[in-house]
Amino acid sequence: MEPQTPTPPADPDALPPIAQVERKAIALLVLITALVLGFLLYVMVARGVFESTQQLVLVSDDSEGVIVGMDLTFSGFPIGRVRRIELAADGKARIVIDVPRKDARWLKTSSIFTMERGMVGETRLRAFSGILTDPPLPENAERGLLRGDTGAEIPRIVASARAVLENLDNMTRSDSSINTSLTHLQTVTGRLSGPYGVLTGVLGSEDSAKKIIATLDNTNALLRKADQRIFGAKGIMDSTQATVDGSQAAVAQLTQLLTEVRASLQKVDAVLVEAQAVGANARVASADLGALRAEVEMSLRKVSQLVEEVNRKWPFARDTEIKLP
Amino acid sequence: MPPTSFLHLDTGAWGRSILRVATSWWFMVHFGAVVLVMALSPSTYNKAHRATTAQYIYTSTWQVLPWFTAMAALLSLVLIRVVVVTALSYGLSQYALQMVVRVLVLELIPLSAAMFVALRAGLAFNAGATDLAPPAGTAPAPLSLKRLRRELVPRVLASAFAVLALAMISSMIALVLVYLTVYGLSPWGLPGYTRTVGQVFDLAVTLGFILKTVFFSLAVAVVPMAASLETPRQPVNLDTVQPGAVRLFLVLLLIEAASLAIKYI
Repeated sequence: MEPQTPTPPADPDALPPIAQVERKAIALLVLITALVLGFLLYVMVARGVFESTQQLVLVSDDSEGVIVGMDLTFSGFPIGRVRRIELAADGKARIVIDVPRKDARWLKTSSIFTMERGMVGETRLRAFSGILTDPPLPENAERGLLRGDTGAEIPRIVASARAVLENLDNMTRSDSSINTSLTHLQTVTGRLSGPYGVLTGVLGSEDSAKKIIATLDNTNALLRKADQRIFGAKGIMDSTQATVDGSQAAVAQLTQLLTEVRASLQKVDAVLVEAQAVGANARVASADLGALRAEVEMSLRKVSQLVEEVNRKWPFARDTEIKLP
Repeated sequence: MPPTSFLHLDTGAWGRSILRVATSWWFMVHFGAVVLVMALSPSTYNKAHRATTAQYIYTSTWQVLPWFTAMAALLSLVLIRVVVVTALSYGLSQYALQMVVRVLVLELIPLSAAMFVALRAGLAFNAGATDLAPPAGTAPAPLSLKRLRRELVPRVLASAFAVLALAMISSMIALVLVYLTVYGLSPWGLPGYTRTVGQVFDLAVTLGFILKTVFFSLAVAVVPMAASLETPRQPVNLDTVQPGAVRLFLVLLLIEAASLAIKYI
């Protein structure tokens, strides 16, 4: 751009005439004034000067990272702004937050507030309202601030890492358990690759492996002999077979015997039927005996009465009356 | 031109040199104060002076406004784009807005506006204003108030206004460009953007921004003119630097440094 070089002479009357120069200058003045005022107004709106707010106090034991003007967010939306941070009499930090009334409906009595401080970036204040049907947060409410601090976790992580490194150091020392185990493993693999292979590895020495092999050979010989004794000619199996044949004849005889026993039992059944019939007759006779006994008793009673009558009427009757002198 | 390095001077020359520098600074401050008082007094603004002031405002602001605004918008757009894309690639996009607003609107644009007006005014002085200076070998004559009011106050006012106007308009355009670059034409980013701007422009920063721009404009308007009035007119100008240029840059640097120190320390 070629610069304009105004060269106004000292005498204002000699200035080159420019159309409506005064009007343009006034327009510029008005424009700049309007811009400045508009900018100031915009900044005031942006700072929430014209908003009706309610106050919320968050109490924390550490306000590091919290700055005046930072946002309180709810679901990622800024709903409040830190107005003041002060130290209370009990040594705790009081963070005074202005919440616009139109956004205050998201804060409930059950809301919780957290301060998150990451490795990178600014500290964040967040509000969480789990139960939106709870009553709204009253004005000038005081709430505790829960802190989640990545920076504070670092010493603990470093301590853990140091313990891990020490363990690793212990594990990799020349006299460590792992090294000893590896040495043992090496010994075992050396044995495995020897003439008796796995047996040497498992049993620890070649002598033991030789014994196992000898035992196996003996076992094989024993098995061979046992086979011969059991399944060979005149072996145990042959005599067993003869015994089985004899047993079959005994079973046949037993079957016959059982048949006879069944016939005897049928006869016993018939006898029992007879006995039942005798029992029934005896029961009828018992009933008749009762009636007979009643009649005998009645006859005896009549005889007794008759004897008493005879005694009374008879002249040899005893005088039962006692006469006083 | 006599050697100006202090190492070549004896004790008496040291004293004279320091006295000359102090006198020169005092002349500048006095000139600035007088001009400011005259600019604030209503009697300065009679019809003739109003016309002269309007003429100077027209030449210093109206004529350069489109060019400067276009250039500032272009450079701002490039810078905004670079910062936003870089921040996005690092996953720090939430800080890009604040950074762009702080760097561009608060720092770069007022400074570039002041530099632009200073260079332009300096060129103007070189071209035609050296007749204001006293003849060579003479001490600066006491300024007559009539001449001051008639010739110098309109120039000072126009230069100061030019810095203010260019800085404000370019800043506003930069703010709009930031929004358009980040959110596009969607109106739904406006509440978040307004909130971010509100976070940047707290009371101290806003006052600092306005005061810094005002001081820039005063420095640009007063320092070169005071230097021009003070420098003895020489038949052959051996100095390739404009009169008062070094002092102007020093003053601008001091204002910028003071602003940064107050804001961030």
